[in-house]
Amino acid sequence: MPSFTASIGEVSAMTQPPISEEGQDGRFATRAVVTVIAIVVIAGLLGFVLIPIAQGQSAGLSAFQAICRSLGIQPGSPAFRQPSSATVAQPVSMVAWTPEVIERLHRPNEENGSDIAANICVSCHIESGAAYDPKIPHMEGQSAFAIYKQLHDFKNGARVNELMATIVQNLDDDQMADVAAHFAVLTKGALDPRTISSGDPDIVRLVEFGNSARGLPSCASCHGVHAGGPIETPTLSGQRKDYLATQLQAFAKGERHNDIYTRMRSIAAKLRDDEIEKLAEYYSAQLLFRPQD
Amino acid sequence: MRSLERLTLAHLWVAFAAFAIACFFGVWQMWARSPLPAPFVTPDNYFLAVTEHGVSMAFVLTTFFVMGFGYFTAETALERPLPGKTFGWIGFILGLIGAAMASYAILSGRASVLYTFYPPLTASPYFYLGLVLVIVGSWIWCVLMIVAMAQWKRANPNVPVPLAMFGTVANAIMWLWTTAGVAAEVLFIVLPASLGLIHTIDVGLTRTLFSWTLHPIVYFWLFPAYIAFYTMAPKAAGGRLYSDLMGRLSFVLFILYSLPVGFHHLFMDPQEPAGFKFLQMFLTLLVTVPTLLTIFTITASFEIAGRLRGGRGLFGWIPALPWERPMVLATGLSFVMLFFGGGGGLVNMGYGLNAMVHNTSWVTAHFHLIFGGAVVVMYFAIAYEIWPRLVGHEPSSSMPQRIQLWLWFLGMMTMSLPWHWLGLQGQWRRVAQFDYSNPIIAAWGPWVVVSLIGGLLLLASALLFVWNLLFLYRKPEAARLPFRFALPVHPVTHVPASLNGFGLWNVLVAFLMLAAFGWPIAQAFVIEAPHAVVHRVDRGG
Repeated sequence: MPSFTASIGEVSAMTQPPISEEGQDGRFATRAVVTVIAIVVIAGLLGFVLIPIAQGQSAGLSAFQAICRSLGIQPGSPAFRQPSSATVAQPVSMVAWTPEVIERLHRPNEENGSDIAANICVSCHIESGAAYDPKIPHMEGQSAFAIYKQLHDFKNGARVNELMATIVQNLDDDQMADVAAHFAVLTKGALDPRTISSGDPDIVRLVEFGNSARGLPSCASCHGVHAGGPIETPTLSGQRKDYLATQLQAFAKGERHNDIYTRMRSIAAKLRDDEIEKLAEYYSAQLLFRPQD
Repeated sequence: MRSLERLTLAHLWVAFAAFAIACFFGVWQMWARSPLPAPFVTPDNYFLAVTEHGVSMAFVLTTFFVMGFGYFTAETALERPLPGKTFGWIGFILGLIGAAMASYAILSGRASVLYTFYPPLTASPYFYLGLVLVIVGSWIWCVLMIVAMAQWKRANPNVPVPLAMFGTVANAIMWLWTTAGVAAEVLFIVLPASLGLIHTIDVGLTRTLFSWTLHPIVYFWLFPAYIAFYTMAPKAAGGRLYSDLMGRLSFVLFILYSLPVGFHHLFMDPQEPAGFKFLQMFLTLLVTVPTLLTIFTITASFEIAGRLRGGRGLFGWIPALPWERPMVLATGLSFVMLFFGGGGGLVNMGYGLNAMVHNTSWVTAHFHLIFGGAVVVMYFAIAYEIWPRLVGHEPSSSMPQRIQLWLWFLGMMTMSLPWHWLGLQGQWRRVAQFDYSNPIIAAWGPWVVVSLIGGLLLLASALLFVWNLLFLYRKPEAARLPFRFALPVHPVTHVPASLNGFGLWNVLVAFLMLAAFGWPIAQAFVIEAPHAVVHRVDRGG
């Protein structure tokens, strides 16, 4: 390796001069096109032909099947048929959030909703959706989705309550949506759990952060102000204490089972009785109302 | 102050203001994730901070910096007034309004990175409209850059376009291709869903369109750094650019191979066929080529400079380089971070290895090192280099600039190397807090504290950077000289016609995009795809 101190002229002489002939323009462009096409062809051969065929052999696929699948034009993963089973999964709730249901909840027949409420619901839930009997839940602050799901579950038996089951039997899906939207509109918004003034620090921690060591997610992750859970997640803030405690106990014992993926059953079963009491107290405490829009 | 300086400074100050604010959010996030007790920690606040940090850094800092630097380059490299400055100001104002709208949505808790681009979840329409305005502002910039180059070429037939401008227009053209994906997604799917006009979304199609944009957007941010490598660093080092042609080739290779590769963000997604994932992985590998070409060319240019300055022997030219100059120092530091960040990137792009690091801190570490490190350190150096021309004053000393660059380098390495390690241990990204009392993850705690120290160094560097720009440039210039870019070793009298324009490359990009995205997008219309019900999270579901 020579050691030198160079001048720019010497450096210039030692490095290659740039392309300078006019005739090379066309050749350069041709080479660029050929290179790009060649790259795509090589990648295509590997990705759509060679690798699928090689891997497909071990999955019992013919070459043609393997190539088709690499292109995504013959769906049918997995490669082997799953063993069939006579067991049919039992859905815990028959509610399907179809665009039609969502549309109806967003744009209900208001007159219909208030008629049903006035004729049927107000005898227990009073006009605002609140309730006097501690066993009856407030509907204040609930979303239309939350109310609709419970009505639907009562109707088809996913959630068991004799009184409610009898009442909703005569309502069709649209009517349930209308009345759910009626009560949701009355108290548009939610009670804000962040405005609670005091609380047992352990319970506040459970609400806000959960307890990963016990496999408990935070309550707020679904029931918080900006619900991160399923759309039908009910608002807990401001709910009756007795009602909350009863429902958590029912979930824990499996008596209530209309929670999809056993979310609430598995959480409630891990809670101690005193925690259930304190959580119910926490959420039932008077909180500030937070309008939605 | 003249009109070019006003336009450039307006853009750069918006960029750097967003950058400085975002640094505070960044440090606080590291603190929140660490075992040390941090103030204001709730999951809501954490994700608000993540979102504001990300949007400020990745949309505001970058877009405004690229636009401001582009306007500056167009006028100084072409040595003629920039056409349509009024449109430039319109683009600036649109971008500013857009950034403000997006920030409003984020800070009011109606747009979080947890659901802004994870359909069928949607955020506040203000967020999407804000992004659209920023993008429309940047399209105006693209058109102005293309027009400026076209007018110059008409006035200078058969003369090669100056390399700095060629690179800038390459970026503009790449950005037009890049934004097509996310623009289609936002305008036709996500925004209507967020406004309540449509109630179901084809999630697969939406994610595919997002991935169209997701990779080249990074190269849009990266281009100014590469333009500085080729057209500023060799001059600052006291030498010349080894090869002008290599620069042109690198720029067009970025256009070609940064676009048809976004599927490496979808390796875990079920909607796309494996063959297309492989094809795009293969093309992703080729993105390394322009970077390797650049490292070779710039190292060669530096060797020329080192030898011109009396460097001898195999490596003697390295200490002979003027490392006290910010542009030279930044280039060196940038290459070190590019080495680690690029290496991490090669792991991410591998179909198999990606599964190991998917959604872990490794990914966060990779893009912080390569963008926040290798690229942003060049943004600093570019600002230092062009600031005298913009404000009419020289810096009174280069010492605070060097301290700032070193702090940034040390901070970024200290922060991101432990992240790589933690990512390999399985630490998730985008998690607000960790329960370090859990013995499985207890050992992560100390490493997160190390990263926090790195974050504090970065914040100190960011504040020093803003201080430098505000207060260091006080020495009157000896004479107002025009800004000059680096000259190549050989005067460029002629280049292949295809490397003096973008016609051929647009055709080849169209071919590559058709090969890589044609069927994957078309299948959404040919095969009946399942649709998911839209959840407007900003409205509570």
